[in-house]
Formats: sequence, C-alpha cells, structure tokens
Amino acid sequence: MIQKKVCMIGVFGAGKTSLVQQYVHSRFSEKYHSTVGVKIDRKSVDVDGDPMTLVLWDVAGKEADEDIPASYVRGAHGVIFVVDLTRRATWEELPALEALVQGAAGVIPTVIALNKADIPEQWAISVDEEQRLSALWTTVHTSAKSGQGVEDIFQTIARAVLKKPGTAA
Amino acid sequence: MAEEPLARDTHVDAAHADAEFARLREMLFGREQRELEQLRARVAQLGFTSERLADELPRAIFRRTDRGDRQLAIALAPSVQQALSESVRKHPATIATAIFPILGPAIRKAIGEAMAGLVASVNTGIGQSLSLRGLQWRFEAWRTGVAYAQVVIRHSLVYRVEQVLLIHADTGLLLAHATSPDLVATDGDLISGMLTAIRDFVGDSFSSEREVGGLTSFKVGDLGVSVEPGPQAVLAAVVRGPAPPSLVIKLRETIESIHLRFADPLSKFEGDATPFEPSKELLADCLETVLQSDAHSGKRRVTWWPWIVGTVVLAAALALFLWRRASEWQRAVSRLETEPGIVLVHAERGWRRWRLSGLRDPLAARPAVLLAASGVDTARVDGRWQPYVSLDSTMVLDRARRQLAAPPAVALALRGDTLRARGVAPFSWVADMITLRVFPPGVSHLDLTGLALELTDAMRADIESVQRRRVLFAVASSRVSRQAQVAIDSNAVQLAAVDAALRTVGRRLEIALAGRADRTGLESLNQSLSADRAETVRVALLGGGIPAVSFTTQALGANAPLSETEASAPGASDVPRDVPYDAVAVRARVNRSVSFVVRVVRTIQAPTPER
Repeated sequence: MIQKKVCMIGVFGAGKTSLVQQYVHSRFSEKYHSTVGVKIDRKSVDVDGDPMTLVLWDVAGKEADEDIPASYVRGAHGVIFVVDLTRRATWEELPALEALVQGAAGVIPTVIALNKADIPEQWAISVDEEQRLSALWTTVHTSAKSGQGVEDIFQTIARAVLKKPGTAA
Repeated sequence: MAEEPLARDTHVDAAHADAEFARLREMLFGREQRELEQLRARVAQLGFTSERLADELPRAIFRRTDRGDRQLAIALAPSVQQALSESVRKHPATIATAIFPILGPAIRKAIGEAMAGLVASVNTGIGQSLSLRGLQWRFEAWRTGVAYAQVVIRHSLVYRVEQVLLIHADTGLLLAHATSPDLVATDGDLISGMLTAIRDFVGDSFSSEREVGGLTSFKVGDLGVSVEPGPQAVLAAVVRGPAPPSLVIKLRETIESIHLRFADPLSKFEGDATPFEPSKELLADCLETVLQSDAHSGKRRVTWWPWIVGTVVLAAALALFLWRRASEWQRAVSRLETEPGIVLVHAERGWRRWRLSGLRDPLAARPAVLLAASGVDTARVDGRWQPYVSLDSTMVLDRARRQLAAPPAVALALRGDTLRARGVAPFSWVADMITLRVFPPGVSHLDLTGLALELTDAMRADIESVQRRRVLFAVASSRVSRQAQVAIDSNAVQLAAVDAALRTVGRRLEIALAGRADRTGLESLNQSLSADRAETVRVALLGGGIPAVSFTTQALGANAPLSETEASAPGASDVPRDVPYDAVAVRARVNRSVSFVVRVVRTIQAPTPER
C-alpha cells in the first residue's frame, strides 16, 4: 500500500493537533495541549478507489523564539499549513513557514487549512486577504470542533500527494 | 638526355597524385575510417576483456569470499535460486542424482538435532513444571493473565530481538517490518515515524548527525532499540534484554545487503513499500530468542534428576500395569475355579495371550461369558474345554430337574446322594418317579415323602360318585335289598380301582361308613339300627378287593340327618325325579341309609425308589 508523509505545520495553538485528532480519532477536546516535538498518527484513506496511508506528522507549532525543526519536514510528500482565522499572527507567519518547508522538502503539494471557521465573528483576517491567499494556494475552511472541512482537507492533500488530477499544486 | 627530366617528372606526378588521392579519401571517408578503426579497437578490446574476465572472475570471487562478508552471497542468491529452480524444473533427475549422496547424512543430522531438541525440551519441561520456580511462574501467569510460556520466556530470557523495522531514511516511512511470531503485532508505521522523529531530534540537538554518528541505540524500560543507519534506509531492531555485539554486526550486514539488493527501489521510493516485501526474509533472519539454557548450552551439565523422576514414574506406571494384569489374571482364574461345572486343568498367561483349558459340564456357564463379566478382554484368551458330567450339587440338581421334568410346584433338594422332592405333584409324575429306574448322575435315592399328591380327574370323579351314592334300606330294616346291593357293588368296584392305583404311589383309601335311621321310633333303636346297617354294608364290601382295615363304621342314628341339599342330590335316593316331591317322605327315605366318606392316606411304608 502506498504511504505518504504529510506534515502539519503552523504556529502554536493553530489547531493542528485538534484537526488530526478529529480526523483520525473523531474526537475534539476544548482543553489545549501543546505538542512537544512531533506526534505521529496514521490514517488509511481511499482516493478514487486507490487505498493509501497518510502518515501524519503533527509538528509542534512555531513559537516566537523557536523555529520548527527542518528535519521533521525532510522527506515529506505533502504539507498542510494550519492558519487560525481568529489569530492574525498565524496568517502572517505563513511565508516564513512555507520557505522553511520548501528548504527542507522542496516544492511539495500544499494545502492551507483555515481553521476555526465555525466562529466567523472572531475572524481576524479580512475577506480580501483570504481571497488573495486562495488565489495562490488551495485553501479549505475547517473546524476541528464541528468537523467542518476536516475530511475534505485530508482528502485534498491525499489526492495532491498522489498527483490525482484537479488537486493542489 | 631529353628523356631523364620526363622520367623524373612522371615520378613526381605519380607521388603527387597519391597524396592528392589520400587527401581526397580523407576528405570523403576520413571520419568513417576513424570510426571504423575505433570500432575495430573496441572489438579487439572486448575479446581481450572476455578472456581476461574468464581468468579473473574466479579469483575475484575467491577474494570477495575471503573477506568474510555476505554481500557476494546475497548478490548471487536470487540468480542462483532462479537457476536452480529452472534446472530442477527441466532436469529433476540430474539434481536428484547430484544431491543423493548428501541426503542420507542430512536426514540423519536433522533427526539427531530433532532428538537432541526433544531431550532438551523434556529436560526443561520437567525441570520447570516440578520445580518451585516453575510453580512460582505458573502462579505469576495465573495472577497476571499472561500465558505461561510468555512468563517462562520473560524469566529465562537472555535477550530477544522482537521486531526489526526497515525505515526509509528521508521520509521515515516504514518499508518492511518483521515481528517475532509469538508477539502481538504492533503498529510499525507509527513506530518507524516516531523513531525517525527521535533520531531527527537527536541529530538536531547534537549538531550534525555525521559529526556524532547519529542515534544508534536507546532504551525504554526492558526494551532497547538498536539502530543501524544506511544512506537511504535505516534498520531498527527492538531488543528485550542486553543486545550482544554480534547483533550490531548482523544489523550492519543486513542493511548493507538491503542497500545492495534494493538499491533501485530505494532511490525511487515514492511511498510504495511493495518492492520491499522480499526484504522481510532478511529482517526475519535478525529475529532471534536466546534463553539462559541456550546461552549456557556449551557448558551445560546433564540434569539427571528429571530423568530419574521420569524413569521412576515410568517404572511405577509399568508396575501398576503389571499388577493390574496379574490381578486380572488371578480374578479370571479364581472365577473359573469356583464356577460349578468347570474344572480348570491348565492356565498359562503369556505376554499377549492367555491359554486356558479344562473340563466343562454342558450345563455349566460359558467360560468366555464368565471372563467377560470379570472384566477380561476375551479376545486375547484361547480356551479349550472338554465336555464332562459334573457331580457338583448345583449341576446334579440342575440336571435332575431337566431329566426328571419336575413340575413347577415341586422343589428338589439334594442331601448326600438323596434327591428330595417337596410340594404338590400330579399322580402321574409320582407314579413315574416310583417306577424310575435310571436316576440322574449323582442321585442314588429319591425321597418323595414330602410330596402332596394331586389325584387324577378320574380318581376324583370316582370318589365323588361313591360319596354321593347311598345304600338305602327299608323302614326298620338293615337287610340289603337288591337295589342296595347294586349300589354297594358299584361303589366297591370304583373304590377298589382307586385304591389299587393309590397303593402304587404309597397311598390308600380310608372309607368311613355312616349308618343313619329316620326319625320314627326310639332313638336307642335308631342307633342300633344305624349301626347294623353300616356293619351290613361293610360286610358286603369285604372281598371286593379292599382290605378290611380300610373300613370304619359309624352309627349316627337319627341325630345327624342328611341336609336337604344332600338328600335332594342326584343319586341320593331311588325316588324317581318325576314323582311329586314329598319332602318329609323323601327325607325319611334318604336317611334310612349308609353313606361313604372317603379319604386318601399314606400307607405305613411308602415305596422309595432306589437305584
């Protein structure tokens, strides 16, 4: 069976672990647990009848004084950047994170999760900014809490790493 | 003189023409000519290389083999396997002939090793199951719910390579995974990912991985992880217990072999681990379990006590078996010896079959049935029995009952050689017994005194007829009239016949003659008259064949008249039935009579048949 390494990258507290937990174990916790180092999970998916395994590297979020270790990203087949729509800083860090990933793994399929989509009244990113982002990247509105877009974003990255037509670059 | 310049000119022209021609040829075919020369040189070189290769190849193989590594063997293995498989498929006879000389030794060696393993296994099994330590382990297995075998391994384990993972170096994805058969399979994907992450973390934390050599081992509780990195893949072995140095060498050789054999799939890996399926054999070679008994096998002493215990148990089992066989034999012989009608002459107990012979009364029980009832397997008994007549009392009685056809109401008993009969027997059977001349074997006397006689129907009819019939007399007379004489004669004939028959079986008749008178006249006269009448009849009966002692007389007078029923019974009087009934007259008529009361009694000396 085909296996693909997919890294979850983002600023701390963006919801990377929650998205993985919701996707793999179908559960959500309001309690925040900061990831130390990296946590690895696995999910078997079916893409257009082709079975494959996503090995999800839930990398600890970037903090102000500490970069994400590039070695965790090395060899990744795809990456999901997680942006917390209620925290502008998570959006502003995207270029730096993208550069880090490209430096470690080259140009690989990328999808951006616009997380916490279930609370639009708290969004800190304008619609224009979001549209500009969507013009450059494949974006999916997600909510680890409600499950919105969770299945969609992992299906999207799975199709992308398998190089299926109509997927993210 | 004029011709010399011409000749020189001609020579110069020819040389010039050759040069021109060569230039022209160079211009037209120069490049092809050079290529042709190069090809000739390469062809010549190829021939040279093939010949050299034929010389150098064996030496090269020897040199590589002398290094002591497995790379050459691993590289050649697939081709050799394929060639061997093809050869076996096409020419099986050739291969069979070739390997025939080594088959015998190989089989003997395999059997020898299997037997040695069995002995070691028995040693260990007995030792562990009977020792205090074994009991403790069993208790621990019961308490923790872990299989006993697992507990034993855990305690007697030196080390065990439980899992081997082949991990792609860059992605951390699992390429192949081998696990000990008795372990629950773990999630190799997650282990390989986390292992890679840990190695990355260590590498990042301690500067460059190349500078420090990377993470090669770490421990988690009882488990240790040995890591052998390669350029494109990493081999990780999960080891319980202290890993020996030889394991590191083995892992190194394995990762080198994998890089050699799977170089192409490794370089083109894009997440599909299918091409690495064959590498599981190499990983499985690294799985091993070393127990204390294995580790000390070189200097292990033979443990005698399990063998002694085993021998004692076997001896006890054999003794029990023999004792049970002997008991069974004794029981069978005793049963036959005590059985009436069977005489056991020869009894021989072999290891597999019993031989019994002797005498058997045809009426006795069958020996096979008796043995089967005693729990003996009759299939292994050979019996030879000669018929004979047993004088055992049971047999004598059984035979007598059959031979004499004793009636159901007759009970027979044997006392000494006298057969006693009790109960009620018909006259005919008693008569037969009286005249019996051939007694059953074992019987010399027949005692019939305990028998009650059952008369024949004819006898009973005769006696009843006599008792109904009255000898009638005229008023105040004891003279026998002609009619009374007829009645007396009839009774005399019937009584004589019955009495004669009874005397043959030790019985006789006793006849009481009761004289009566009617109520007229004085009673004293009636008494006298009735006595005369009875005496008259007795005298008239004498000479009829019945001894005089058989008769008694009784004078009843008029005090014991016949009842009306007796008086009106058929034959009681000579009054015709069609005469109008005058009860008083008839009654008086009937009571002027003598009536008969007949009893059967034993004679003083009953005949006793003897042989």
